[in-house]
Amino acid sequence: MARERSWRAQKVIERLEQKVNRQVLLSLAACVHCGMCTEQCHYVLANPDDPTYAPAYKADKLRKLFKAHIDWTGRAFPWWVGARSVYTDEELEDLKDTVFGKCTNCRRCSFNCPMGVDMATFNRLARGLLVHVGIMPEGVATVAKDQWEIGNQMGVLKEDYLETVEWMEEELQDEFDDPNIKIPIDKKGAELVYTINPREAKYDPRTIAEAAAIFHFAGENWTMVSEGWDMTNFGLFNGDDELGGACARRVYDAARTIGAKRIVISECGHGYRSTRCEGPNWSKTDLPDIEMESSIITMLRYIKEGRIQVDKSKNSIPVTYHDSCNMARSCGMTEEPRELLRLVCSDFREMYPNRQQNFCCTGGGGAMSMAEYAPRRLKSAKIKAEQLRATGAKIVITSCHNCVDGLTDLIKHYQLDMEVKQLVDMVYNALVVPKPAPKVEVPVAVAPGEIPAKALAGYKVLVIDDEPDVRTYLRVIFKDKGAEVLEAPDANQGWRQIRDQKPDLVTLDLVMPHKTGEKLYWELRKDEKYKNLPIVIITGYGKTDKPTVRFHEFIAEKGIPEPNAFLEKPIDPDKVIETAIQVLGTRIPSDQIQ
Amino acid sequence: MSGTLIELPSVERKLGKTMVTLIKDDLTALPVDGFVFYAREDLALGSGYGNAIQQRGGAAVKKELDAIGSVGMGEAVITTAGAMKARYIIHACGPKFHEPDLEAKLRRTMRSALELADRHDLKTVAFPPMGYGFYGVPLDLCATVMLEEIAAVLEDRTTSLEKIIICVTDKREYDAWKDRVAQFFG
Ligand code: SF4
Ligand code: SF4
Repeated sequence: MARERSWRAQKVIERLEQKVNRQVLLSLAACVHCGMCTEQCHYVLANPDDPTYAPAYKADKLRKLFKAHIDWTGRAFPWWVGARSVYTDEELEDLKDTVFGKCTNCRRCSFNCPMGVDMATFNRLARGLLVHVGIMPEGVATVAKDQWEIGNQMGVLKEDYLETVEWMEEELQDEFDDPNIKIPIDKKGAELVYTINPREAKYDPRTIAEAAAIFHFAGENWTMVSEGWDMTNFGLFNGDDELGGACARRVYDAARTIGAKRIVISECGHGYRSTRCEGPNWSKTDLPDIEMESSIITMLRYIKEGRIQVDKSKNSIPVTYHDSCNMARSCGMTEEPRELLRLVCSDFREMYPNRQQNFCCTGGGGAMSMAEYAPRRLKSAKIKAEQLRATGAKIVITSCHNCVDGLTDLIKHYQLDMEVKQLVDMVYNALVVPKPAPKVEVPVAVAPGEIPAKALAGYKVLVIDDEPDVRTYLRVIFKDKGAEVLEAPDANQGWRQIRDQKPDLVTLDLVMPHKTGEKLYWELRKDEKYKNLPIVIITGYGKTDKPTVRFHEFIAEKGIPEPNAFLEKPIDPDKVIETAIQVLGTRIPSDQIQ
Repeated sequence: MSGTLIELPSVERKLGKTMVTLIKDDLTALPVDGFVFYAREDLALGSGYGNAIQQRGGAAVKKELDAIGSVGMGEAVITTAGAMKARYIIHACGPKFHEPDLEAKLRRTMRSALELADRHDLKTVAFPPMGYGFYGVPLDLCATVMLEEIAAVLEDRTTSLEKIIICVTDKREYDAWKDRVAQFFG
């Protein structure tokens, strides 16, 4: 007689048949039980005598089900390939204990598997099967329901979120004694939308203020949003693709409504992976006009472009860096945070192993929400504690809010003399805040949004750009403000005009045929006569081509000083004029030099 | 509090003297006579809308629920809404996580909620997409059952209800519901 099956077990089997895709199929079929993954798992290292923690053992729980219902070998020879179905809710509870309580989806085992078995992907799938029938740790249910119904995974109500942002704005204004520092909300036409982890609004709002200060001093046209502001995504952790799609769509729809060109994702490993990498698939959304980047990249760019100044001697306490699993193993982001760290901290010490081989903070995969597994989690954190202790650092920096919580918990448990911070804290602390320019030195008073009609009268501006349209456009803009405008279609002609015409200001495109703008810039800066000539770099960003980044590497390598300003295409006419006025600042117009 | 970033026009259809309206808004912040909460049998408020009820409504709602104790599958109970803008909350216990007889249970739940609203002479009542989202009721089934049951109740009798609101949380849900509402009521 056929064994009876609970409705939940039946639904799990039906769901498995719908959800198994090629990637999962390969991982399920590929394991040769070589055991190489075993020692890679932090749970195994803390429980060497308990085989139920071994990655292959855990994987086999789902694999048996797959063999019993999908793989032909299991259907033909179930006893031979270890196929085994599920029948009762107790068996599903047992599976829950494994997939939620004994694996953080950290992927460390996968990186060390010769067969490329992706444990985390099918562990996530197994979680999704259980969630489908309502079997999950209570904390997982709480968070998922908050995210579905309130729109963020910590159930922060709109009024509380807005109040927190306002409070941070006031803090910043007090701190810098500057009422012009704003944290804009829902500012239509902003270039950049900054999205955060609700943990920031609820427990750690200083990171919002710090990021806001960085945007402010970088002169960014940015905003936060009153909905779609949570870039985290519990769908990644509970295996619910529909929740994953819903969360991602909220962020994308908010950014589209603003008209933003870029979504910046604050430091959060799973949020970054979900929003930037998985979200477009889950939500079936195409975002051709919006770039998404981690705030790590944004901060790095600001420093490289000279938009913010930092002094690393302000962060002299020894620091180490913890790679979040999602950032490093799943998204390959290992070098950028280190590059940024080296720019803002003077004593950085690597932790070993690191990058893709780093150990999980043990709070990954949503583990921090599963209170019932906390003792297990903290036991498994032993290896992480040893790694941290060996660095001798006093601060561990990580670019993930989950890791902040996981590390804080284990530091307390293992009594380490350390605190946890994020890159934004370090960048903020290293900021050299520009002193406002003394008013007397500015020849033309420019109120925001209001530029005097002939603000550049008497000045000679040379536009070097190979694109005729750009030259014409800039000519019209500068002429309109009274400047005399010279043009050069390439670097060589530019050189000649500089020598013959002695312009007061040069705008220089970097990407030009024959001789590049960077080469010309280098030659000018080497030349005693022109080394102080005001130069504004005006260049475009392609999706893959990053001329400004290249330029920075170039000038850093050659040890040449920064140009007076950078502007990005498409060109904003007001910005061009404001920049020109600022750069020309104290210069006397060429037509007044005797 | 700042306004709404993503503003979407409400979709409205009149059935007899009752207006059926689809909006994207914040269910537990609506100034309505009552809104529906998709409840558990033990009446625990939990997270999500339950969390918002506790934060915005205060302790009063939970106290009333404790006094009631529990609710059967497909049935509904009513409490006041504490300090919220709404006056009442209808706690309707619907099916969850693909349990057997999903459709029949959902129909009963919807019917119970509408009838309870009617019995308490509520004029404006707001519904979330019943069981969709966390509890996994498929969107198609949720929309079909909700719209059919609303139509049935409105056709059946003289009702106190002047406005039935279907309140979705985001643009994605709104996009999925918009045409369904428009088509269903013609
Ligand atoms: S290393 Fe790969 S092939 Fe070997 S047991 Fe682990 S998962 Fe299986
Ligand atoms: S993904 Fe991480 S936690 Fe899970 S089995 Fe592999 S190493 Fe262990």
